[in-house]
Order: sequence, then C-alpha cells, then structure tokens
Amino acid sequence: MGDHFRVENLSISFGGLKAVDGVSFDVEPNTIFSIIGPNGSGKTTIFNLICGIYHPHSGRIILEGRNIVGLKPDRIARLGIARTFQNIELFGNATVMDNIMLGRHIHMKTGVFSGAFMWWRGSRAAQEEIVHREEVEKIIDFLDLQSVRDQFVSSLPYGKRKLVELGRALALKPKVLLLDEPSAGMNTEEKEDLSIWIKDIREDYKVTILLIEHDMNMIMGISDRVICLNYGRKIAEGLPQEVQKHPEVIEAYLGEEDIFRHA
Amino acid sequence: MYGQLIVEGLSIGACYAVFGIAVVIIYKTSEVINFAQGEMAMISTFVAYHILNVYGWPFWYAFIGALFFAVLLGVFIEVCFLRPAKDPTVLGLIVITLGAEMLLMGLASWKWGAEQKDFALPFSFHKTHELFKGVVINDWSIAVFVMAAVLMIFLYIFFRYTKLGVAMRATQQNEHAARIMGIKVERVFSFAWGFSSLIGALAGMFFAARSTLDPAYMMEPFLRAFAAAVLGGLMSIPGVVIGGGILGILENFVGFHWPAWKPIVAFLVIVAVLCIRPSGLFARHYEKKV
Amino acid sequence: MKGKGRFWAVLFTISSLVLWTGIGLCGAPGFDDKEIRIAAWGPQTGPAAPWGSVARAPAVLAAMINEQGGIHGRKLKHFVRDDQYNPAQTKVVVKELVEKEGIFSFVCGTGSAGGLAVKDYLAQNKVIWVGPATSVKEYVFPVQPYLFSVYPLYEDEGSILTKYVIEKLGIKEIGVVYQNDPYGKNGLDGVRQRLDHLKMKAVAEIPVEATEKDLSSHVLKLKSAGAKAVLMWVHPTTGVVLVKTAATIGYKPQWVASNTLSDFELMNKISGGLWEGIITGAFMLPPDSDDPRVVKYREAAKKYAPEERFGVFFMAGIMFTEPLVEALKRVGKNLSTEAVLKALNSMKNFQGVGPKLTWSPDQHQGSDSIQIWKCGPGGKTILLQDWTVNELAHWKKK
Repeated sequence: MGDHFRVENLSISFGGLKAVDGVSFDVEPNTIFSIIGPNGSGKTTIFNLICGIYHPHSGRIILEGRNIVGLKPDRIARLGIARTFQNIELFGNATVMDNIMLGRHIHMKTGVFSGAFMWWRGSRAAQEEIVHREEVEKIIDFLDLQSVRDQFVSSLPYGKRKLVELGRALALKPKVLLLDEPSAGMNTEEKEDLSIWIKDIREDYKVTILLIEHDMNMIMGISDRVICLNYGRKIAEGLPQEVQKHPEVIEAYLGEEDIFRHA
Repeated sequence: MYGQLIVEGLSIGACYAVFGIAVVIIYKTSEVINFAQGEMAMISTFVAYHILNVYGWPFWYAFIGALFFAVLLGVFIEVCFLRPAKDPTVLGLIVITLGAEMLLMGLASWKWGAEQKDFALPFSFHKTHELFKGVVINDWSIAVFVMAAVLMIFLYIFFRYTKLGVAMRATQQNEHAARIMGIKVERVFSFAWGFSSLIGALAGMFFAARSTLDPAYMMEPFLRAFAAAVLGGLMSIPGVVIGGGILGILENFVGFHWPAWKPIVAFLVIVAVLCIRPSGLFARHYEKKV
Repeated sequence: MKGKGRFWAVLFTISSLVLWTGIGLCGAPGFDDKEIRIAAWGPQTGPAAPWGSVARAPAVLAAMINEQGGIHGRKLKHFVRDDQYNPAQTKVVVKELVEKEGIFSFVCGTGSAGGLAVKDYLAQNKVIWVGPATSVKEYVFPVQPYLFSVYPLYEDEGSILTKYVIEKLGIKEIGVVYQNDPYGKNGLDGVRQRLDHLKMKAVAEIPVEATEKDLSSHVLKLKSAGAKAVLMWVHPTTGVVLVKTAATIGYKPQWVASNTLSDFELMNKISGGLWEGIITGAFMLPPDSDDPRVVKYREAAKKYAPEERFGVFFMAGIMFTEPLVEALKRVGKNLSTEAVLKALNSMKNFQGVGPKLTWSPDQHQGSDSIQIWKCGPGGKTILLQDWTVNELAHWKKK
C-alpha cells in the first residue's frame, strides 16, 4: 500500500444511520481518483471526513504516512489538503483576486507589525506580497478569470464562482485536491474545458485529485481510478471501464437518472 | 455657541466611535454583540487606577499595564466563556456576554468598591486652545481625535495588508471556508476579543477621565457606542466613526435646545436605523452568506 | 414555658394562614427581653452602591449602645439587606426581614422608589420606619402613622440655598440643573419658590438624567444663558461631569449643590480637586467636625467598622437612627410599638448630629432646616451658615 494518501476502514454514522461504512481506498500520487455513487451514498461525507469537518467514529486517513484523523480543518489544510464544495463556499463580499489570494494565506509569513510596513516597496512584507500575487495571477490566467478578477464574487454567475473556488483551492498549493461536483451547473462546453483544466492541474501542479462527479463522461474521460459507493459502502473499485461494467454498480444506479446514457 | 457645540459633539463622538470600533470588531468576526464590552473596559481602567494609586507607578506604566490586561481579559473571556459553548447560537453567545457583564461588575464592586474614583489622564481638561474666536478645544479632545485617527489608519492597514487582518475578514464572511483555507479560526476569535478589549480599554480610560470611575460608569457610553455602531451598520469601521460623530453632534444639539430629550437620542437612533435601514447609513450592500 | 410554646405555635399557624390568604400580618414582634431588631435596606451592589454605606452605619450605633448594656437591658441587633436599588428587590428583602427575622423598626432605607414600594406593607405590618435616607414628600404628606422623616425636604433646601446665593453672594443670574425625577424636581420647586417670592426668574432650568456622562450641551446652555450661579440637584457623578465640563470651556460660575453632594472628601477626590469652593446644603454636622457628638461617632466607627470611610453617607446612617434610639430610651422597660410611636409623636426639638426634629401625630416631617457648607482645600468642610429654617415653607402652615 502506498503511503501517499489512503483511507482505511473509515466509518461514521449519524443518528444510527451509517453514512460511511468501512470504506478503504488507496490513491497513487499524481493521479485522478474519482468517487461515484447515487445521491446520499456518502461521497461528500467522505470529503468532510478527510478535511476534518467531521471526525470518523473509526478508521484512519493517512496523508504521507501520517494519520490526520482528529486534526482540525485548518491544520489539515496546512498539511496539504484543499477542497471545493458542492455548494460554493466563497467570500462573497470580496473580489475574485482577494478570494484566490486567501488561498495563499497559509504560505504567508507577514505578521501584524511587518504587515504595517506594506506600503514600503522594499519591505519584506511587500516583497512577499509580490511573490504571492504572481502565484495568484498565474492561477487567474490558467482558469481564464482575467475578465472578472476585480469583481465581487457575489456578483458572478454560478459557473464562474465554481472556477474561483477551484482557483482558491489551487492557491493553497495542496498535495491532495478534493473537488466536489465541480461541473455542476455548467454547460457542455464549460464541462469540456473543465475536464482539460483538471488534467492540466494534475500535470502542472503535481497534485493528486479526488473527484466527486455525476457527469459520467467526465469521469470516464479523466479518471485514473474509480470507486463506487452505495449506502456508505464501497461496492466497486478499479479502472473506469471496469467499475462501469460492475453489476452492483449498474444495480445501484437502477432507478436513478439514466446516468450511463452518454457513456 | 454652535461652533463650541460642534467641537464638543465631535470630541465625545470620537470617543463613542473608538468604543464603537471595539463593538464592531467582535461583531464583525462572530456576529455577537458583546454586552460585556463596557464592563471589560471598566475593569481594565480599574487596573490602570490600581497601578497608579496602589503601586504608585507613573501614568504610562499604568496605561500600558491596563492595555496589556485588557488583551488578556478579552482572550480569557473568549476562551473560557464563549468557546466552551456547545453548538452556540448567536443569541446564546449574547446571553453569555450578558453573564460576563454581571460577573465583571460584581468583581469590580468587590475589589474596588462601588464608590466613585477619580481617574485622570495627562491630557487635561483645563488646558484649552482657542481654535477661532469663541471656540476652544481642550487637550482631552485633541487626544481623543488623535487616538481615533491613529486607530483608523492602523485598522485600515491591519485589515487590508496583514495576514491576521485578512484572516479576520475572511472568518467574518465565511467561517467555514476560512477554516478550509487553513485559517485558525479559534485564534482569530481570541485575537478579535483581545484586540477589541484593548480598544475598549483605551476608550474606557478617556471616558473615566471625563466623568468618574465606578463599576457602572461604562453602561451609558456603551449604549452610545452601540448606537454609533448601529448607525454605521455594525460592520464598517469608517461607518462607526462617522456614526459616532453624527451621534455626538446630534446629542449636543438636542441637549442644547431640548435637554429633556437628550437621553433618548441614542435609543431613537438605534430604533430608527433598525427600522428604516438595518444595514446602517453607509454600509455597502452586504450579502449575507447562506 | 410550655404554654408560651403553644402560644407561639398557634400564632405561627395563624400567621402563616394569614400570609397564605394574602393579608400581611407580622410574624414576630421585633423584640424580646434580650434584643430589639432593627434593619435597613440599601444598594450594596450595582450602580447606586455608594449610597449603601448609609444602611450599614446603624450597626456602629448599635455596637456603641450594646457596649454600654443596651437600651433598658435590651441589645440592638441591626440587619442590612442589599436591594440593589431595585424596588422589586426592596420588597423581597423587606418581606423576608419582617416575616422571617421579625423587625421592630426600620431605619434609613435608601432609594425613594424602593421606599414607596414597601411603605404600605410596613404600615400594614405595624413596623415603624424612622429616618428614610432620602426626602420624599409622599412619605409624610399625608401623614403615615408608622413613618417618621428626618431628612429635610429638597424644596426647603432649594429655597434656603437660593436665598443665600441672592442675599449673601449677591448673584441674581441663577441657573438650575435638576435630575429629571422627584428629587431634582423638588429642588427646582424650592428654587422657584424663593425666586417667585422675590419676583425673579431663573435664567436656565435644565433637566438631566442620572446616567448621562456627556453634559457639554447642558454646560454650554448655562453659559450662553449667562448663569453666574448654578444650583444642582443631581447625582454625584453628574455633578463631577458638570464641573469638569465647565472647566474645559473656561466657564466658572458659583456652583451650589444639594446636600446629596456634600460628601466633600469624596467629591473633591473624584472631581480632581474641582469641588473646592463649591457650596452645598447639609443635613447634619460635618463628619470632620470637632463637635463632641461627631467625635464620639467617628471614634466608634474606627473601632467597630474600621473598613468604612467615615464620610457623610456613613455618618448619616447613624444620624437617621438617633431619634429611634432616643424614643426607645424614653419608652423605658415596657416596650411596645404603640409606646414607641407615642414617644416619636411627642418628640420636640430633638437634636442629635442632624437637624432639630419635631414630630406630632399630624406632622411627620421632622426637620425644616439645613446647614450651608463650602468645600475647602483638600475637601475640608467650611461651615458658611448654621442651621437655617425655610421661612417660606408652606407645609408647616396648616
């Protein structure tokens, strides 16, 4: 088993309902690892467990050989796990630039006092700021957000906001990036762009990506490996095509919307 | 006479504003109105009084000592009273601050007695300068103006450029997201309380020098500062400063012409703003997070 | 003994039944062969707590008396309760004292709202109340059979002080700052009474709330009205803020204040020395006086309550209790509420450290005179005018 990122026997229940039940998986560095499953199968709960919003009742989450269960979200973020949310969680009353800049927060060293000398161009604080701004500009270029960089996030359309959230997560320079339905609310063209970006992110940022998605085209197109959950349990794992053909997976999706129609 | 009224109104208004900033800083980060704000400032001022009169140290030692104590007190209250609250609602937290208020007042009465004390600053009331004919300004007012201005500039730089300031703004807008960004939200809250308590103590010492020092002396200024903060929309620091100025001048004009109505000006302001324009007079349209 | 025990048991049953049915009758008579229980309520905590020392002071007088063997063999036992200056709380503590401890007489009693809330209850329970620590007209007009007032009326004080300012100081431009409640308004009435009599008018009459801390507009109004003397019936802190604020704009009238602001040691300290030169009314001899009676009390306070500052409020607590002690002495061994009422009602020109007191069955306002003081350097008391009667007082002509 690899020590890069893995989940062992993870379980949590809410009021007797087992939301996640003994799930284990192992993610190779620099791969795209997708989690699929019908609604309510525990996908987002796994993300919440990974980034410390929930604490599992049992099981371990190993990041680079270290068990991160029990740590607070901010600590986990500092260890190199970033995420986006199904229902965007941005700083609405701030600009796109400011939002992404906040992703650099954990990398900043500026204290209260040195920060007060920001106006002096030669100061260490100003120098540091320049470095961070360059990083952020790169992300803005990369995600094609130049046109809205100084707009307030609350005024942006849904799809753009999803990108801002992705950009902010990238700015953290994470080792593992969790994307929770990044394509929701996007049209086909935007989805195609997103697929390319996700692959590019993997290449350019050397990051491991965990992906929750409903769009099977995207899953089949970019995933290196896929697991499928149902009622909180892992029912299949393997290459995309293998999971797609797995009988339990097909059964799990029966009655759901015809998700494999395009696949 | 009106010139003098404006000067007096602005100087007391600046003092309300500084205290209002303390209210706003806590509200901004946690959406809690800290009803113990006045009593935190009161206790800190008593600490300065104690250092001055019991230890007999020079004023500036007492001043710095009180500010240092204020920070510790703010952090202490946040860590020991607010943080342990399980699944807190905003209302629950406000009730906790009310409890803290009573506790602090009782503590001060027990330690220093309820009798009024004299607390003087090195900025004397009696030293006046004629601004222009018939209008004077005293050293106390000048010190208040300078304090308010320095605080404004500092806070502007702080919230704009420092890591902690940015973290505070982020926490205020979306605590959830702030955590995911690696911001130590608990630390931000503690800092906000410590910082707010420090600013409150500054204002508290100025209020004490204006009247007398006793366990209840900050109740009234808290109400005024709260009114100033409401005028400014409870979120904005420039807002509360302008709100303080408006309130100070308004109170002084009403007090001059209809003295009996003066005490309710602050109430009317709070009620009127909350009814007509709850986001304050100057707030940008603020979209509350979902 | 056995018979007596049964008597008490029956009485207890009856009284608890009576309490149940809501008619308040007293549970215990407030005295026995060994002791007489007296009590005072007053704010011991909260914003008004500085006045709380009044309620504690009778304990010193009780200790003095007990040391000499009590009054006709009975010791005085003094109870203090904290009502936080809250009338609802006053009711609670007074009920508790009357029904659980059994109180013969209340003394002092700070706060007019609290006093008004319990005065009828005390009368129903036949509990005497001597020397409320404030002057409230409703206490004595009309006469309340169980309530005896020592405190001079603020109205009389206002009239006497105004006369002094006009006649002795020769100042005609008079401004008034009054707290917007019965205390302040009674003071204002007194000023008006005197001015009307002299066919004059105040140049400014300004109301103020006790809690206000910013009084710039009030001071500017006084200044612009040209007041050369300002009389105030306000809270001590309000007085300090007024004087400080006036100093900031270089306005220097002759300040004249009610007796509630006559604790010069305190006032001078909390005003940063600005109280010097201020004239006030006074309802008793100065606490720093050399009068042997005051010296005696001062020494006793040092002995029995060393932690207390012997200021005006503290000594006032003793002063308010003096007439009750006098009445108890006059009654002798056969103590009863009726006997003490009779002794109080026949008191004529009794003088302790307070004003001369005269009560009769149809007049329970005991005093009609004040002293006039001036705050000297370091908060020392300067006596400007000895006991002075308000010759305009209309309440005496009946």
